[in-house]
Amino acid sequence: MIQKFHQRLPVIKIILFLVGYLWMVAIPLPELGRTTYIDENALQPAQVSTYWNWGDVHTADKYLEDLEKLRDRNATSREYVQSTTVPHTLAYTFDRRADYIKNEFQRAGLSAATQKYSFSVGNTDLTGANAYAVSSSPRASGNEAMVIAASWIRRHDEGEEELNLRGISTVLALAKFLKGYSLWAKDIVFVVGDGYLDGMQAWLSAYHGATQSKELPHSSGVIWNALAIDYACHSFSHLGVFHEGVNGRLPNQDLINSFERISRYTGGVPVVLYDHVQDHVSLPWIPKFIRTNPTFQKYATNAKNVLRHVGYQAPGTPSGIHGLFHQYRIDAFTMYAVCAHGPHGFHALGKVIESTLRTMNNLLERLHASFFFYILTDAVHFNKIGSYLPSAILISIALMFHGLDTWVAAGWTVEEDESPSSDEKPDEKPSEAKTPKWTRRQRPVLPVLSIMAATHLLGTVLFLLLSSNYTLASYQTTSYILFTALAVIPLGAALLRTEQQPHNAPLSTVLKALNLCFASTIISILSVLNFSLALTLSITLGVPLVASSASPTTKWPIKGIQYSLYILLAAGWLLFLPEQTKSVLWNWEVLSVWFAPVVCVVYVPLVLQAAIVNLL
Amino acid sequence: MKLAHLWGFIVLFNTSCLCRAQLSEYFNERLSIKPLKDGKIASTLTFTTVLKNGTPRDPGLLHTEDESQHYRLFPLALGQILREYGVTEMHLTLNAGKWNYDSWGQPAEAGVGNGAELWAWIGDGALARNALAGLFCSSLGSLDELRTTSPVEVFRPEGSLPSSSLHQLRHASHPSESVCTENLTPFIKLLPCKSSAGLASLLNPHKLFDANWHGMGVHVLWHEGEGVEVRLTFQTVSDPLRSSFIRKQDWSLESLFGRKVEKACRAAGSSHIQVALPRNTPYNISPQPTVAENDEALYDIQAVNKPINVAMQYMQEFQRQDLPSSATLSIQRTLKESSQSHGQLSVILRNHQPNPVQAIYLETMPWIVQFYLHTLTATVNDIPQPSVFSNLSYIPAIPHSRPTTFHVLLSIPANSTLRLTMDVTKAFLRYTEHPPDAQRGWDLPPAIIYPLDQPRMYTPTLLVDLATPDFSMPYNVIIFTCTLVAFIFGSIFNLLTRKFVVVSVALKGRD
Amino acid sequence: MTSSLRAGVVIPTVAALKVAISLSGLPDLLRNDHQLSSPLTSFSQLQEGLYLFKHGIDPYSGGTFRHSPLLLALFSSVLPTSTLFAAVFWALSDAVAAWALVEIWRARQNVSSSTRDGLVALGYLANPYTILPSLALSTSTLENTLLLLAVMFAAQKKAAPSLLSLAFLSHLAPPAILIFPPLALLLLTDPHSHLASPQKLSLNKRRIFPLVLEFLIYAGALTFASTLVAGSWNWIPQTWGTWLTLPDLTPNPGLWWYFFTEMFDHFRPFFLMVFSMHLVIYVAPLCIKFQHDPLFALFILTGVLGIFKAYPTLSDPGLFLSMTAAFPEIFPYLRHPIVTSLLHLHAALLLPLFHHLWLTQGTGNANFFYASTLVFACANGAAVMDSLWAGMRIAIGKNTEDYGIVQE
Repeated sequence: MIQKFHQRLPVIKIILFLVGYLWMVAIPLPELGRTTYIDENALQPAQVSTYWNWGDVHTADKYLEDLEKLRDRNATSREYVQSTTVPHTLAYTFDRRADYIKNEFQRAGLSAATQKYSFSVGNTDLTGANAYAVSSSPRASGNEAMVIAASWIRRHDEGEEELNLRGISTVLALAKFLKGYSLWAKDIVFVVGDGYLDGMQAWLSAYHGATQSKELPHSSGVIWNALAIDYACHSFSHLGVFHEGVNGRLPNQDLINSFERISRYTGGVPVVLYDHVQDHVSLPWIPKFIRTNPTFQKYATNAKNVLRHVGYQAPGTPSGIHGLFHQYRIDAFTMYAVCAHGPHGFHALGKVIESTLRTMNNLLERLHASFFFYILTDAVHFNKIGSYLPSAILISIALMFHGLDTWVAAGWTVEEDESPSSDEKPDEKPSEAKTPKWTRRQRPVLPVLSIMAATHLLGTVLFLLLSSNYTLASYQTTSYILFTALAVIPLGAALLRTEQQPHNAPLSTVLKALNLCFASTIISILSVLNFSLALTLSITLGVPLVASSASPTTKWPIKGIQYSLYILLAAGWLLFLPEQTKSVLWNWEVLSVWFAPVVCVVYVPLVLQAAIVNLL
Repeated sequence: MKLAHLWGFIVLFNTSCLCRAQLSEYFNERLSIKPLKDGKIASTLTFTTVLKNGTPRDPGLLHTEDESQHYRLFPLALGQILREYGVTEMHLTLNAGKWNYDSWGQPAEAGVGNGAELWAWIGDGALARNALAGLFCSSLGSLDELRTTSPVEVFRPEGSLPSSSLHQLRHASHPSESVCTENLTPFIKLLPCKSSAGLASLLNPHKLFDANWHGMGVHVLWHEGEGVEVRLTFQTVSDPLRSSFIRKQDWSLESLFGRKVEKACRAAGSSHIQVALPRNTPYNISPQPTVAENDEALYDIQAVNKPINVAMQYMQEFQRQDLPSSATLSIQRTLKESSQSHGQLSVILRNHQPNPVQAIYLETMPWIVQFYLHTLTATVNDIPQPSVFSNLSYIPAIPHSRPTTFHVLLSIPANSTLRLTMDVTKAFLRYTEHPPDAQRGWDLPPAIIYPLDQPRMYTPTLLVDLATPDFSMPYNVIIFTCTLVAFIFGSIFNLLTRKFVVVSVALKGRD
Repeated sequence: MTSSLRAGVVIPTVAALKVAISLSGLPDLLRNDHQLSSPLTSFSQLQEGLYLFKHGIDPYSGGTFRHSPLLLALFSSVLPTSTLFAAVFWALSDAVAAWALVEIWRARQNVSSSTRDGLVALGYLANPYTILPSLALSTSTLENTLLLLAVMFAAQKKAAPSLLSLAFLSHLAPPAILIFPPLALLLLTDPHSHLASPQKLSLNKRRIFPLVLEFLIYAGALTFASTLVAGSWNWIPQTWGTWLTLPDLTPNPGLWWYFFTEMFDHFRPFFLMVFSMHLVIYVAPLCIKFQHDPLFALFILTGVLGIFKAYPTLSDPGLFLSMTAAFPEIFPYLRHPIVTSLLHLHAALLLPLFHHLWLTQGTGNANFFYASTLVFACANGAAVMDSLWAGMRIAIGKNTEDYGIVQE
């Protein structure tokens, strides 16, 4: 049976690859998903009557006026300044802002304080001041807390920065409003972070004592859930959900599902995933009869959502300030007001937030059911782990099979001089006579392991160099040097090239076998930790690693071309994606996102090994 | 009406005859109301019953027949428990909320830790916790060995102890005990007039349990030469400014308790309402107090023979200010949790006074959180200063039974901030040891800071996350692990016991 | 290229490198890692015990300090506990272990030095399973060193130091007492490889008793000394008792912790007994089967202990894997080396990741880490079975063309 399996292995491998990649394409299919549901009974979403009314909207409007005045007085909201010279005026600016917010919190009767912070990345310093307040709920022990957060700058991926003034006004008005009720079982913490991600990161790490920074003067209990409010334009039509956290962690799905129901039933606001409001995805290059097909439309909108999700999760970038909470086991998401000309404003948003807080308040335990592994295809549909995980796992299995196959192949060689034996007994065993004679040969494992270890070491060095202050300061020149080094150093492996001996397997075959096995292991293990990253790796590593040619007879020019292609795949990002590289490094320095080290220490060496396979 | 009085007289007469002649009792009640710095109102109801010349039962004689008990005012239900267990001194408090020392100052009764706290000086024997749990309808039964400690330096007897026999301190606190109406009803039953007359009629659960902080206490003391005293207290902190539309700190008995005092309790020896008057701000208090001294207005309920609703009205809106702390020390205690297996306990003490303060810092921690004492560091104004602590005493925890007791004497320099940090590890429990709401975590009891010569202070309680196993897995785990062990065992013995044989592949293939 | 590595160069270089890494602050991150140090071997716990001991509080009066009183005495009087010193001491311990392994290899080959020495030393020093616990300052590193020393002295026929090392070792980690029988056999026979030509054991059985007696005397002396240090017998239930009653259920890469977390209370004593006794079963059969080569029996037994003992760290299976370096003759006969290596690769990556998912990130639950310990046990089991197969298969000789080897 094993023999039969081995004979059909090439077909099996191709089938595995095909099914794996097709499965990836099929993830957005509505048939694979199912509608969302609430798992935790204690949540009871949209079961309360809310008290937020037009008086509170008026309060929010007044706060907005004040904030707009503050903004107009100093147009610059956030400055990157050289570490050596901090202009006093700038320090004054964000201090004033934080002080205003702190004072308003205090006037509402809460204990409030400000927190100054600074990060230094490269040779730029990032400074700011957060304001926060703790509302101690009546009769609560202060052991548990919920957080409502807003950042000074609205969430954005790249491009223009907008101020989240309405979001902050909402937080201020809520602080005043929520304090008036004695039904809260947990403390409520209001945080207004300066900047975008930096302020909230500073506050969170101080709250959790992750850094030895100054202790926050007011503390509360353990935070289970947090809401980030993002509302910048005059009014909104939909509320969007952003949920990806640092290192691709997702919040418990119950939280998002509860919010979706609350928003729909209590606030009357439809919920969308991200800011994807449009039903129609315009794809002009697709024939019209397909484009207008409703099933295809559904698939295309879902696919857009899934792609956006992968774009956040794979590099581990938080899709908003909520993502920073995930570092501390806090389930959080951003409520994103999608800009439109009406119909909703502070009134609807306040009601939704109040009701969502009541739902969070109902929790007796941390959300814990295994509701952390999912892909949302839209706001009310999701894929369970079982319906998306196999795609990457299949690719990983295909790689593993190919690796083991190569390993077996490396252990045997066909002896060519079989003619005399077939002459001896031509009629007795005609079928066996033609079968080539296989003999065992040694596999040079130790040198191959040394090569692999060396590439990973090289990756580690690359990472250390990249994350050093010097590189960040002068990226332009350094990136070229690093790329050249990465392209040249593996050539050294060619020195190990020896003449092919019959009783020894070629280095390249063994290296390819081990490289494939290792890549397969990495992909299958990562798929549980961060599926999108595993998905990306199975695309970037899958076919290229299999395609690396281990044949020592290839001509040198072809080898050279193959080698350069692999080097480009391994380190091309150094040259062609400078901005993304810098932001990934910033994420590592400030937010401890693991993407940068994973790329340098795992991805680059694996592709380099494939390059060396071609070379040997 | 007259007949009832007569009957009452006869009954009183009879019971007093049955009692031992020298035992007389009296009952006093008092309500004190004080406005707080942050706009809230603290009120304390105190009901004191004294059994004159009463003596606690000698714990050494518990096995012998006890003398019969007959009381007029003294609560019999409680008295029976005290006699049954030979309790000399006992303090039980049931509180809800976090007492904010910075804004509210020292409470009238020191025991303000969140949840239930019970401490008693008794003989060698079980704490009367189950009897008390039955009496007060609270789950004091969980104050078992896992939580019982004996920190004698902090919980000194408030009354006197008989010199004859050895008394021991038993202290336990249960921070996740919630306090509500079911505890108040038995509390009221211990009062001579119940809640029908006197100040006890203000014990209206709807209002009390809507306060920002509330706590009830039962204190039993013995004063040598005087008698056994039972003091029942109820403290609340209410917020007249809770709604954002109210600007003035006005209050009245009706707004605080939802009731006024309709009539006096005849059994009470004295019955007073005491109001701390605000300074520096114009106000109007009604009705006219019986006695008004510089800072204080006093109402004698028994002298005023009509329903009374004390009301305070302010002329100006309340101004929120960032005032300095009104307590000797500001305390902040947090548990920084980096993961579910380790954490760091940090305690910050700010001394606001111009002179150094000496204080005992006491932690009684259930065994689930274990200290790494070698990581204990102290900084004063961010400068390491290990000399601030002395007299360290430490009883390490025993897994699955005894809690940790850690106490140390701190000297906090004038106007400075002392910060103590210590790494802790968290235990991994058997699946049967977790509570039903395992994912919530465990409430840890408050630490106690005991500035020498001042009432003790309680830190807020903490919530610690413990890693949980999967509760649905026992069978699966037993099956998986046993299968694996059996597989490896089987394979090894299979290899060891079977012989190697050489077979012809070619022959085998042909078959 | 690698064949020219000399042990005399490799060991000091790697040890120096290790000290350098230790001083870079990495150990602080690793120190409390559950896979690298168990509550019985953790350096933090040791420091805590030392702190209590120095402040006059009996560390054994509580229930969390589980190190031997001898370690207390050693670190509180003779050795300082500064980070620098600890880094040096642990690196030194590793160097001694690697040297012992090289000596075992030399004794087995009956040569005074060989070209493979450096490789054998690297087999111990470059094994991630042994490096990481050593960087985390886990005392399991010291236990490994003691075991290798005991074996080395036995291979060199030095009975007294060998038995003393074993007495120390079994004082620190009682399950190690199980390697006494193969060690005694090793002392009475020779360490050379007889795997290829098994023969019946011929030795004077009376010579075993003096060895047992000598071992008991050493063990008794150590026990007595410990009692003197601790001031009472309290330390015995706190240290040795832990192995049998498993009061601490902190996760580790072994099989016991989750099993007894999830165990029904009324079955707990029964299964504790079964799991403890289970270890004993392997001793006699292995010693009988490999009576011609007790060193190999000892090697397999180390692997079995690494899988099944109560509070393992990564260094226990790591020791077994490193010891394979001294038995190169079995390499060509390993049954499924690639499968075993891949299992180990998976387990090595899964353990820390699932530990992180469960305890830090909170998205996975305990089952994730449990599953990875199962994979790890499978990998270790596969490694033991591979070696066992190879150790017996070797006697048949090289593979021939048309014949296969199977077991009856």
